[in-house]
Amino acid sequence: MDENVLLNMILYALPVYLLAFLLYVVRAVKGPTIPDMVLAVDALSYDLAAFLAILAVVFKIPILIPVAIVLALWIYALDIYVAKYLESKEMGE
Amino acid sequence: MEANALDQALMVVGTVMIVWGAVSDLIGALGMLRFPNFFVRLHAATVGTIWGAFVPLIGVSLFAAGYEGLGFYRWFMAGGALVTAFLLLLLAPVGSHALARAAYRSRAAEVKPKVVDFLEEFVKKVMGGENDRA
Repeated sequence: MDENVLLNMILYALPVYLLAFLLYVVRAVKGPTIPDMVLAVDALSYDLAAFLAILAVVFKIPILIPVAIVLALWIYALDIYVAKYLESKEMGE
Repeated sequence: MEANALDQALMVVGTVMIVWGAVSDLIGALGMLRFPNFFVRLHAATVGTIWGAFVPLIGVSLFAAGYEGLGFYRWFMAGGALVTAFLLLLLAPVGSHALARAAYRSRAAEVKPKVVDFLEEFVKKVMGGENDRA
């Protein structure tokens, strides 16, 4: 199979990712409690890291790969900070 | 420009994984939007992160390993996507678990479809109802 056919298939998959991001943003904005919002931002950002890696391969931009790694690590830090704040109402020294 | 058979197989498998990840991501986002409360939405978050982010990252890695058009950065992108995928496989469940534990212990989200809650009974009996401190 030609590689341009495969790249076109990946290009057709990109709007599906964008639609999923839109639904995550709706939940992140209107989520009734704090853990709901953080969970939606969490899933949104992990999927955004995967989306960045796909963009890096399709459009041949290698600098986007380290960006995806850093994004995944920061969202893990957000999880831990919010969990610690909810449990003990302080951010830690 | 004729790629060999192994490279073509890697690219086909990578494309299938990326498209599969897009569909799973949409399913996870729909679940995140439609499910009733936080502890049910954790299930949709699992679908959205493991099937919607880990699988396409492995697909990107395989695709980049078989794509000669990337030139000098081919193995950089394949290895970087693989490292991102395994970091995500380790960190996403740990983060969700910490968040769920904090949401339960601080009573920030209520456990709505509940049949029995042994942890709450245990805390009430042994620790005298002191549930909101770690």
